[in-house]
Amino acid sequence: MSRRTVLAGAPLVQIAALASAAPIAPAVFTPAQMQLIEAVTERLIPADELGPGAREAGVPVYLERSFAGPLSADRGVFSAGLDAMEAAGFTKLSTALQNDFLAAMERNEVSGFRPDSRAFFIRLRQLTLEGMFGDPGYGGNQNYAGWDLIRYPGPRMAVSAEDQRLREPIKPLRVSARKKTMGAR
Amino acid sequence: MAILLKPVDVAVIGLGGAGGVAVLPLAQAGLKIAGIEAGTWLDPHSFRPDEINNNVRGWPDSVQKANREVPTVRNSVNGPVLPRAAVHPMMNAVGGSTLHYWAQSWRLNPWDFAARTRAVARYGKSAIPVGSTLEDWPLTYDELEPFYDTVEHAIGVSGKAGNIRGKIDPLGNVYEGARGREYPMPPLRSTGFTELMGEAARGLGWKPFRPPAAINSEEHDGRPGCVYHGYCSRGGCHVQAKNSTAVTTIPAALKTKNLTVFDRAQVMRIEVDAKGRASGVTYLRGGKAYFQPAATVLLGSYTYENSRLLLLSKSKAFPKGLSNNGGQVGRHYFGHWVAAGNGGVIALFPFDLNVWYGTPAQGMVLDDWADDNYDHAGLGFMGGTNLHVYNEMHPIQAAGMETFGEPAFGSRWKSFVHQNAGRWNTSHLQTSTFPYEDNFLDLDDTVRDPFGDPVCRITSLPRENEGRAVDFAQRKMEQWYRAAGAIKVVRRPMNPPGVSTHAYGGTRMGDNAETNVVNRWGFSHEVPNLGVLGASVMGTSGARNPTLTVQALAWRTAEHLAKNWKAIALGSV
Repeated sequence: MSRRTVLAGAPLVQIAALASAAPIAPAVFTPAQMQLIEAVTERLIPADELGPGAREAGVPVYLERSFAGPLSADRGVFSAGLDAMEAAGFTKLSTALQNDFLAAMERNEVSGFRPDSRAFFIRLRQLTLEGMFGDPGYGGNQNYAGWDLIRYPGPRMAVSAEDQRLREPIKPLRVSARKKTMGAR
Repeated sequence: MAILLKPVDVAVIGLGGAGGVAVLPLAQAGLKIAGIEAGTWLDPHSFRPDEINNNVRGWPDSVQKANREVPTVRNSVNGPVLPRAAVHPMMNAVGGSTLHYWAQSWRLNPWDFAARTRAVARYGKSAIPVGSTLEDWPLTYDELEPFYDTVEHAIGVSGKAGNIRGKIDPLGNVYEGARGREYPMPPLRSTGFTELMGEAARGLGWKPFRPPAAINSEEHDGRPGCVYHGYCSRGGCHVQAKNSTAVTTIPAALKTKNLTVFDRAQVMRIEVDAKGRASGVTYLRGGKAYFQPAATVLLGSYTYENSRLLLLSKSKAFPKGLSNNGGQVGRHYFGHWVAAGNGGVIALFPFDLNVWYGTPAQGMVLDDWADDNYDHAGLGFMGGTNLHVYNEMHPIQAAGMETFGEPAFGSRWKSFVHQNAGRWNTSHLQTSTFPYEDNFLDLDDTVRDPFGDPVCRITSLPRENEGRAVDFAQRKMEQWYRAAGAIKVVRRPMNPPGVSTHAYGGTRMGDNAETNVVNRWGFSHEVPNLGVLGASVMGTSGARNPTLTVQALAWRTAEHLAKNWKAIALGSV
């Protein structure tokens, strides 16, 4: 079996069609909660000389869609964590103080969270990583900003021996398995 | 009332790694089989390189039976229940978790079958950990060897033999038990990273080799070789190079026309007749209840569900659950001590490793520190660990790397992962694990599934023996990484395993009916026409993945049933 037939045997169009037909998520967070999500994810992954931050990459969109769908059962718990940050005035803090606040959450030094601030920090960070580095079809990693940041060469349907040598990353292939671009190399 | 179906010879519960293999020798023997599977057929065209779908969300488009009944976990009999896992590590489908497993297809080493006798002989009685209920298996490696061989060829396993009838080949595992012949396919291709690690191991005087896998390394049985695309871990194979039972033994059994697959069918109870013999199974399909009468029943769901379904199947003859009058169902349970991922040994290299693609079974392994392959005198533990480094890294996983003291967010973190997300590695260390008196499965007293049945509860305590063995192996792993050029290495202490893909016991196999649920052939000591398939019958784990052993045992149990049909099915000798 040649590489070409392997590729031909793996059309991803059907799923892509389903994904693009999916309705836009309804509002699952209040405007204040969305503002907080944008602020906090941007602190976790800020825009800088290495490229876009979480906001520009669409991480808040990823969170919104996730909690509208597969994580909807978790929305109450997650919203409570957001509200605890809002109650502490997070969005009104300076950038430097927001960073300090997150670091204190990570060290589990902030009260008002259930079960505790470290658990919520870990949850926020994990969701931010998912949005930033997951497939762009879920709303984050727009323009492949996350994959460019970590120099990930991108999903592909077959990989050669040469592509697995010890070497600098191979030429990136910027495609989404969830969008129509996957099969079209 | 349940809808009554036409009787069959054998009802097989679960068409995964175990049941999916057992159906083939049964079908070839001409027995009529109902294969009852909670999941359904999945379309390889829907398998895609998508970390969120596969790894984060656990295949949301598949049947979610397992995810509705995730076991609860506590680390002591009176201790608190730990936070419940969101996703069950196993999946429901025709082919079960062999659709998305790493496909590492190991034989256990001869020592694993007789660990008690061999440890006592070499180190004395004190070698057996306090509180352990370890027994020798009722069969030896040599007795299982022909079945390992049969399954390796029936499903297709790639690898390099290290011991063919006593002839040792250092390109394979020199510690393995003697095998009758070579693997049906050569090992998966090596990579720059695995060759680097192999060189480093040889420099230390160790004996690295490429591990066996149920993945085609070349075209085999009409299906292509692996294309190494890097989404094999919890991913389905879009070219069908991974030899799940859905593309190997199940289609072969269907060709005989003796197997009928009932998919999307969730078994609720195993029923018994007035004499206490299994009479069939009740299952739900599309909101309706069906009763499938059967002369024999083979229970082949996953370890947790094997015990749960027996405990739920109460009757006059078995008031504490089916085959549980001796109180052994759920006992001798253990989760494999596997130090892996961000909970294992993690290394940072000063250059790009390029492990993004490939598959985890495309690795470099060594058995020098496994089982009893080295002298344990004075070490304070029995058993050992297979050390495994491998390919395949997904981007969310890569960015979630250990930060080695650097901040976990912000611009400094960004700069750190920009440089290092492609330069770190984590190993897969599997340590031989043993059963203990106070490690067990039972029914949870509060958490229920959507049908109102209690979920399985795991009680899994910290163990000094396994803890020391893991620590010993982690130090060897650090040595290996540093020899290969790693500049930073962290070793994470290991907690008792929770819900695991390597879960053993609960229906242990043994000659002694007072300490085991099934006999040496896999049939219940209390219900002679009920067989059990899966790692739930295994009394030790070995230092490697269980699936091939599960499959060899499943084939053996099914073949035994076919050869002794009258005695088992009709109760006549």
